Amino acid sequence: MRTVTLAAVAGLLATTGAHAAEPLDLVGPVSDYKLFVSEQTDLLVDETEAFVAAVKAGEVEKAKALFAPTRQHYEMIEPIAELFSDLDVAIDSRADDYEKAEADPAFPGFHRIEYGLWEHNSTEGLDPVADQLLTNVKDLQGRIESLPFPPEVVVGGAAVLMEEVAATKISGEEDRYSHTDLWDFKGNFDGSQKIVELVKPLIADQDPAFIKQIDANFEVIDVTLAKYEEGDGYVTYDKLTDQDRIKLAAAVNALAEDLSTLRGKLGLD
Amino acid sequence: MTDFPLRTSRRGLLVGAAALATAPAAALASTEAEPLHAADAPIEDAARLSDRISPFGPHQAGVTTPRPANGMIASFHVLADSPADLERLFQRLTDRIVVLTKGGPVPEVDPKLPPTDSGILGPVLTPDALTVTVGLGASLFEDRPWLQPAKPRALVRMTQFRNDALIADLSHGDLVIQFCANTQDTVIHALRDIVKSIPDQLVLKWAQAGSVPVIAPPPGAPPESARNFLGFRDGSANPNSADPSLMDQVVWVGPENDESGWATGGSYMAVRIIRNNVERWDRTPLLEQERIFGRTKVTGAPLDQPHGTEAMVPDFKADPHGKITPLDSHIRMANPRTPESRANLILRRPFNYVNGVLKNGQLDQGLLFICWQADLEKGFITVQRRLDGEPLEEYVKPVGGGYFFALPGFADGQQDYLGRTLIASLSPTSQDSSQSGPSTHQVQD
Repeated sequence: MRTVTLAAVAGLLATTGAHAAEPLDLVGPVSDYKLFVSEQTDLLVDETEAFVAAVKAGEVEKAKALFAPTRQHYEMIEPIAELFSDLDVAIDSRADDYEKAEADPAFPGFHRIEYGLWEHNSTEGLDPVADQLLTNVKDLQGRIESLPFPPEVVVGGAAVLMEEVAATKISGEEDRYSHTDLWDFKGNFDGSQKIVELVKPLIADQDPAFIKQIDANFEVIDVTLAKYEEGDGYVTYDKLTDQDRIKLAAAVNALAEDLSTLRGKLGLD
Repeated sequence: MTDFPLRTSRRGLLVGAAALATAPAAALASTEAEPLHAADAPIEDAARLSDRISPFGPHQAGVTTPRPANGMIASFHVLADSPADLERLFQRLTDRIVVLTKGGPVPEVDPKLPPTDSGILGPVLTPDALTVTVGLGASLFEDRPWLQPAKPRALVRMTQFRNDALIADLSHGDLVIQFCANTQDTVIHALRDIVKSIPDQLVLKWAQAGSVPVIAPPPGAPPESARNFLGFRDGSANPNSADPSLMDQVVWVGPENDESGWATGGSYMAVRIIRNNVERWDRTPLLEQERIFGRTKVTGAPLDQPHGTEAMVPDFKADPHGKITPLDSHIRMANPRTPESRANLILRRPFNYVNGVLKNGQLDQGLLFICWQADLEKGFITVQRRLDGEPLEEYVKPVGGGYFFALPGFADGQQDYLGRTLIASLSPTSQDSSQSGPSTHQVQD
């Protein structure tokens, strides 16, 4: 029932309290967000094409270089992408989702390719995995285009992205072969911050202290991540100091708590 | 809130003198005359969800307080870049401790928002003898130049003893919280409340829960020490936690301890996660087990008075060659009972733990050892050094824990909070503080 129509949601919204943002207020932010997601999805498709081509051409170094920036677009739109759980599994599941882990023939997607590239330094046997990845990413693009974006999913997505970081990123287990986790962090944070920016005007007057606290924690993250920039991206995750990992963890946990109230503050169920 | 005895969990009655000093009358509903001590086994059917232990007083609760059936140590990284940050953390902790130990209805919020409480205790929190005891690790002080001068004199990062195999992810921390309560749910609830309430200043590092068995002593019989997972009574020779003047000597930091003034009323806390090789232990002859401990297994009586009770004192002087109580037995090495070794007394208040199964297929069980002392070096560190090489090492493996300094207690009311004397000592006008440097925030394992 996650893919309810906007009209249905709007009907539901009309019954919520008067202090909450009017449903109409969310129409703008939601359509802006949809635009953002479309752009990111287009980039995901384009860059996955190049990534898959490199894998199939046996260009290990090039494929390695394209892996993290390509994924970043997926991480940015994760609250929407994971609405399609079949594709989310096919694109982004990890070895520990499978009983036989890396040896499991069912292990697919980005992380299967990551495993081959970094652990075996090879593209051997990855052709069908790469083809399937591209098919799935294109499928995702098509489904997102025809998806009405439920406002509670959009607004709730800001917190969902923080939960992602808290549960699977902060430990460095997401990109365990390439250690490109900081790229994913950046994608998750940017995706979350985008949502906050879009709805901020609706609550800025009502709850300035809340906004201030959220902004401060995003600032901690920006400043901390900036220390690890290298070229167009980031150094490997093992370079992150314990102090900075803890600083990030605290900011992420605080944001996850605060952003978990965002839906309610906007009167959404 | 029910006031019936809890059938599944159970705890001693709050009639220790320390509890009397601080606990409200409601907590003292008791028909027992015999005071319970820190390591006595909780009494069957005696605990109540309404048991309330005051968090207020010159010392924190949870140290000399009779031990309830459940406990947990949770270790955190702290985010605090300045005295003001640290003060804020202490005040927030104080607020939660006061709420959690008092009990009462949880606030209701707009159902479109996440509930403020986990709800695992229902809509009305029961105090359930909860104590929340906060200790500080050496890293908290050492990583912050403005806090370094205030570090308690004997506080150090726990070092590896001979038989230790410390796991980094189970060791040390900037701040620990010991939660104790009649029931496990209350312990878990309190931990989740703290984690949710202070996400920006506390990052959980490790936690270890434990419990102690509840017993039903025959009517009129004295309380007994709880058994550990090796089947022996643990705590038999503990100093009497119901004797405040003894506790002032053994447990609480006072003027004679040569500490900063702010630390008065605090206590050093040694925490050790000690894995027991229970399969191998269970395959060891009884007489050998008893020689290793120096006590009889059934009653805990010393080996020179095998038909006595655990309360009897062994006469090592009459057995200089260890013919009856081996010289390398645990109790003899830990406490040789010489006039000099009185300076090394510690108050033990441990819990047993079960963590499932190890990679080798053996049970992951052991002792969450916790002890308290006014001087860490004279207390735990000296005792543990004496134990280096003891035969018991074949069966136990310390894998984690740390040393901490439990803050002095705090009084009821708006003016006081946990750690207030430490914060006050940091102010430039205070005589306690040497300097308050610029705030460079660092966190370390």
